[in-house]
Amino acid sequence: MTAVPVVAAARELLAAGSEMLYREALYLDTQRWDEWLELFLPECEYWVPAWKSEHQPTSNPKRELSLIYYSTRGGLEDRVWRARSGKSAAASPLPRTHHVIGNVLLGEAGPERMQLMSAWTAHQYRTKIRETESLYGRYEHELVLREGAWRIAKKKILLLNDTMPAMVDFYSL
Amino acid sequence: MHIQDVTRLVVDRPDEGLFSVHRDIFRDEQVFDLEMRHIFESTWVFLGLASQAPLPHDFFTGWVGRQPVVVSRDATGKLGCFINSCRHRGAVIAHTRAGNARYHVCHYHGWAYDSGGRCIDIKDQQAGCYPPGFDKADHNLIAVPRFGEYRGLLFASLGAGAPSLQEYLGETRPFLDLIVDQSEHGVELVPGSSSYIYRGNWKLQLENCVDLYHLTSAHPSFMKIVERRKSGESRHGLKALDFNDYRLPGVVRGSYTFKHGHAMVWGATAAPEVRPLYSDIDNLRRRVGDLRAQWMLATRNLTLFPNVQFAENASLQLRVMRPLAVDRTEMQIYCLAPVGEADAAREHRIRQYEDFFNSTGLATPDDTASYEDCQTGYRARHLDWQQGYQRGITALVQGPDKYAAELGSCPATSLSGHYDIQDETVFHAGYREWLRLMQAGFARDAGRGHEGRPGREAAVTAKTAAA
Repeated sequence: MTAVPVVAAARELLAAGSEMLYREALYLDTQRWDEWLELFLPECEYWVPAWKSEHQPTSNPKRELSLIYYSTRGGLEDRVWRARSGKSAAASPLPRTHHVIGNVLLGEAGPERMQLMSAWTAHQYRTKIRETESLYGRYEHELVLREGAWRIAKKKILLLNDTMPAMVDFYSL
Repeated sequence: MHIQDVTRLVVDRPDEGLFSVHRDIFRDEQVFDLEMRHIFESTWVFLGLASQAPLPHDFFTGWVGRQPVVVSRDATGKLGCFINSCRHRGAVIAHTRAGNARYHVCHYHGWAYDSGGRCIDIKDQQAGCYPPGFDKADHNLIAVPRFGEYRGLLFASLGAGAPSLQEYLGETRPFLDLIVDQSEHGVELVPGSSSYIYRGNWKLQLENCVDLYHLTSAHPSFMKIVERRKSGESRHGLKALDFNDYRLPGVVRGSYTFKHGHAMVWGATAAPEVRPLYSDIDNLRRRVGDLRAQWMLATRNLTLFPNVQFAENASLQLRVMRPLAVDRTEMQIYCLAPVGEADAAREHRIRQYEDFFNSTGLATPDDTASYEDCQTGYRARHLDWQQGYQRGITALVQGPDKYAAELGSCPATSLSGHYDIQDETVFHAGYREWLRLMQAGFARDAGRGHEGRPGREAAVTAKTAAA
């Protein structure tokens, strides 16, 4: 009989975690970027590894390149500021983006911390040139419970098609 | 297309205050095909670093113009560069970006080559009833005609007419040395790289690397973010190069052009402590001397015509351009770092690189967005001539200025001054070399009656145009 409550707890965590992922995608795609930033802890890690070979992404951000690596939220805040600044040709006009997240699995989990693995696809419609670009890969999230709300402590984005279109930013990943 | 059709595309009369290029060089597919043959498949092009294949049987793949190539180190440690195509039916025999392979066996019919390019097995040859002539023929991979190294930098040329690699690099060598000598063991690629494709002509990137004029209008978001970090408005603590420092009194910026189309821009660094190299400055000065250490801390963007750029400002970037079509270019980008760099400096270098240079960074996408805007603008057929090559023309000096002379380089032209000059004569050398190579290509074709045109008639055409 003990297995049942564990499974139920896992389902509950998975549901809460999945909702977080979907909410994050909604905020990115609707340009509600202040709310998007609020999902992250100030001391969060945000990491998009680069690739070393056909099947090996970089694994040590201190000695190897990443596409993006931040050890706090400040770097993401810079990017949001830039996208809104009107001073960036790449973000004027902004693309329309569309994320779909699926295959969500719960990794290590406890009452106040959980890991989630998921698959993502993002399309960005480049409004100026009227073309669509697609990006896809896997996410790993680590969520922690703070003051009754789940927040993102770590997000790792593995971009699989890394011969990229020329303009890729936080909203397209 | 005739030789006159390309000759008219570059107006090169700086003594009269004139220099311009015709927009067809960015938009005409015939021009692009000729560029591939007469430039990318004739002159020296950059391939990579010898340290990308450090051990026997290591290899990496790349391109010379439109040709797939493999650079491979043989059993004795000698590097070779071969066309990456099986002699049998043409399939590529090296399939990954890099690796280690004593033998490359073609996936299709199993012909095998060793790491020195020698064909060592033709599958089931004995039972194959081949004619005697087949047995006598050479079945080895085709070595590229010219393959050379300068201090760990590898170049290849498909053309017999190119000068020696030393001569081709010429007076840029003291500036290449400023990169290679940043540690006593040279520089290395930081693991991990990225590539991106932009919808624009390759020469847009060729220009951009040495374009000081675009900085304040194309990158104000980056510049403002660096200001916000310094003032504390941003909570991101990364120490990056502040381009506003160029405005400080007494800060000199300049540009050089070199024979064979190479060009560079430089600027004294007002706050060298943000450069990762500065963390070991005492040792650096002891090893290379004060003057060269100061040059290493200056920002320097160097383009070697036609396909490689070393950009040292925020961190140190290596960019390799691969034109895909008249309006499509692939960029392969790497972070370069001194071998043996301390952990803290290396991490700082990597973060600066990602911040500025990555295609997911805060500066490069603004450049590529502008290239795409240019390529769209070139559709305007009634607009033929660019107005972007006359700025700085009255300040141009033939030969070296005092700064180049101090370093021991003798550029073809020099220009230096304060922040606002933002010279555009630095582009002249590239287009001069562009035209020289295109004309030489026409002359070669004329000599051998290329593309069905009778050799004699084409030769006459070339002669007339040259006169």
